Amino acid sequence: MPETRIRITNLGNVCCLLVAAIAFSFAGCAGKEAVSPVDVEYQAFEDLRGEIREAIDDSARETEAIALVDALSDELDALRKTISERKRRFRQLNANYDTSRADFEALVEQVSQEEKSNHQQIVEQHRALLAIITPDEWAEISKFHTKAMKATIKSVQAI
Amino acid sequence: MLIALLTILFLGGSSTGMLDYIAETRDNVKEVMVKDDRRKETLGTLKAIKKITKARNKQVKRASKEFRKAFAGADSSDKVLDDIWTGYLAAINQYDHELLELRFQLKEQLTREEWKAIFSDA
Repeated sequence: MPETRIRITNLGNVCCLLVAAIAFSFAGCAGKEAVSPVDVEYQAFEDLRGEIREAIDDSARETEAIALVDALSDELDALRKTISERKRRFRQLNANYDTSRADFEALVEQVSQEEKSNHQQIVEQHRALLAIITPDEWAEISKFHTKAMKATIKSVQAI
Repeated sequence: MLIALLTILFLGGSSTGMLDYIAETRDNVKEVMVKDDRRKETLGTLKAIKKITKARNKQVKRASKEFRKAFAGADSSDKVLDDIWTGYLAAINQYDHELLELRFQLKEQLTREEWKAIFSDA
């Protein structure tokens, strides 16, 4: 008899666990739908700022580094818009049977110039970060990974 | 993740292809063109675009790895980054040139009506 009771109790626990698991999975699904890419990106940069605050033990340098991270966040937003707009322009040109080679080459050249300018800007921001952050802090921040930032980068690559 | 962020920003818009979607219109081509030698040649051009795009994507991945490695070191110099960037940009420019060649080759293989039908919703 005690054995039966134990079994019944275990069965009850299993049922409770199953119900809880199903409820959690639905909550999880609802949660996934509720999180927008904008929210994920916001979280990604919040995480990065948090890591910088933790790694840098000097308020002046910390403020400077956070300001640079804010600038990188703006750069990422701009990059997202740039890629979308470029794709739209290339598709527009391609859809037109009469588009000349010169038209395509002009756009490719414009993109190339924009890329060079972007490259220079990121080099400068990288240099500025290295000037503020010590090698040890840099190593610590470099080790930091979050799902939010990974998802943010993937979403840019998927445009 | 700072390293990954710097890398994607460094690669910029060139990390994704602009006309590589042309290769994905294979089904449209099959729908619009009758099965003959001209269609075979057209599909061959799409295959060639897919091939060079695959190579380009590998190049982007390789450059991305190199940039990550360079950014991870707190002592990475501008010269190291510039060297990787120069090689990467040359490969991307070469791809853009080859892709345009193939795009205009494709144009020669298709009529104006076929082009419109294939790319109107692509």
